[in-house]
Amino acid sequence: MEMKTRLTGAIQVVEIAGRFDTSTVPPVAAWLEQVTVVPGAQVIVNLSGTTFVDSAALATLVQALKRCQNVKGDMYLCGMRRPVYMIFELTRLDKVFNIFVDEDHALKAFTN
Amino acid sequence: MLVALLSSQYTRFATLAEAWLAMGATAFGVYQEDRPLVYWPAGHRLAKPSTVAPIKHNESELGDLRVAGLSGLVFEQRLRADADMISYILQLEDELQMMTADLVTSQDQQLALYRLTQTMRDHVTVAETLATVLSEAMRMVKAHSGYALFVPASAQEPLLVQQPPDALPPELAWRLYWQAQASEREISLGEHESELAAIGAVNLLHMPIRVRGTVMAGIGMVNRSGGFHAPDIKLTRAIANQASAQIERMLLYQEMFDQAKLRTEMDLARRVQLDLLPHTLPSVPGLDIRAKSQPAYQVGGDFYDFIVQPGRPFIFSIGDVTGKGLSAALLMTMTRTAIHSKAQFMPYPTPEAVMRQSNEDLYADFTRVGVFATAFVGQYEPGSTTLMYANAGHAPVVYRPYDGEAILLRADSTAIGILPVSHCRNQRLRLGPNDLLIAATDGFTDVRDADDEILGIDKFVELVESLHDLSATEIVARLFEETDHFGQGRPQDDDQTLVVIKGAAS
Repeated sequence: MEMKTRLTGAIQVVEIAGRFDTSTVPPVAAWLEQVTVVPGAQVIVNLSGTTFVDSAALATLVQALKRCQNVKGDMYLCGMRRPVYMIFELTRLDKVFNIFVDEDHALKAFTN
Repeated sequence: MLVALLSSQYTRFATLAEAWLAMGATAFGVYQEDRPLVYWPAGHRLAKPSTVAPIKHNESELGDLRVAGLSGLVFEQRLRADADMISYILQLEDELQMMTADLVTSQDQQLALYRLTQTMRDHVTVAETLATVLSEAMRMVKAHSGYALFVPASAQEPLLVQQPPDALPPELAWRLYWQAQASEREISLGEHESELAAIGAVNLLHMPIRVRGTVMAGIGMVNRSGGFHAPDIKLTRAIANQASAQIERMLLYQEMFDQAKLRTEMDLARRVQLDLLPHTLPSVPGLDIRAKSQPAYQVGGDFYDFIVQPGRPFIFSIGDVTGKGLSAALLMTMTRTAIHSKAQFMPYPTPEAVMRQSNEDLYADFTRVGVFATAFVGQYEPGSTTLMYANAGHAPVVYRPYDGEAILLRADSTAIGILPVSHCRNQRLRLGPNDLLIAATDGFTDVRDADDEILGIDKFVELVESLHDLSATEIVARLFEETDHFGQGRPQDDDQTLVVIKGAAS
């Protein structure tokens, strides 16, 4: 797993490439924990390079989303590959997250 | 200096004097600032020497050799040669003294470093080690104040120890730490640095400490009278190396301790999990029911449960709480109990109602600790051919009607603990003779082979399709066998739990 973080305007973006699971969750969780406590936090998790998510990864994302909502911010997901999107569909997490086709659309949704 | 040489080498000077006297000189003597130190023959004060040659040391004149009764170029040359030889011996003496002094200092330092290692043996935390290294380093380097820093590789808090406690503004100490971390070199600041002047310090030496190959710590010496020169830097580096070895030893100890703690916790979690699962399988007319759970080394939060009461519908559940170890086992118990009590005590239970109320019970606690639980609840009236169910984010659940193909049952709401209100709905499917329902946990679909590829949901559905003709008992055995075969016997990361229900042949 490889994670890259950047700041686009006021929006925190993390790109997760490879396997996003129990063994690779800690650094992502630590980063999300820091950025999602800022009032009005706007966060994008770009999953276009993610090949697999397990329940630990899903729990990390759900937790971060709840924290964002607590500080009146929001977190968007984008760029999911088919097998990853299938997991979200199967567990109905596609109804919980705002999921965009790519980062541009997610950014636009924040800026509009 | 000349006096010291004369007293230690008196006989050699006497031999030199005899040689001059034998050559015809009337007297030979060694003088310092025009005063005689020694002369031959006794009583001759060499008031009027005929030849004089200076004894030099480090460009300055220490004294001279004097001869009376012999003059001329040859004797002048000879006497100068003798004086030069004595000058050279003095220089060698000097070097020897310096080397001896160095040796004594380094021996003192060795001893101090040894003592440092000895005192640190009793320490069990990095903070204690840093404090000791700091005070010993200050004593050895003769610095008035100092600090030591450590940034753990894990998510623990970074450490900063200072002596006295407010020796330096923490921002400055950290800035030097990161600067040295990037350059991997020591930093020496002198009086002219405005940062030092601002805090009333005159000099500072920051030494990075490498731990396990990377710079993870640092030590700073502040205010040494005379400044930091090569030997002080060398000594501080030696102390840093000593500290590095000590921190590595400490980390290893902590890791071993954590490992042992983890093992104990996992053993306990495994016992909780296995002891709380039903020990016997229910006997329900019209159904063939089998179940099995196999905890992984890092026990997860899988569970299954059966609720059978006379005069009430048969209800079963299977689920998975996120997380590992004792916390997952604890949360699993909470979830299982919440579902169990609703199913057991609600006047007219349905899977939807059981799930909704369980979500209400658990939502606040789960949100606080940041977990959720997927669950599948099924309900069956004995003798009927219909199963009513609700699925809160649980996968994989596969249904294989006797006359159709295996299909995946999608969840009808998100897992328990994600949303404050559950959107679960009662759903129905036929469960007549030879219809098959398999509810498993993701430990089956996430099983990995030697190339780290996962089995995946599609393959799991295919597997169910290929096994549907077998009895519930055989299906359970084969599913464990097949996934174990796929994983090539490698230990897996997650628990594997399975409930297989097959309509009994009429």
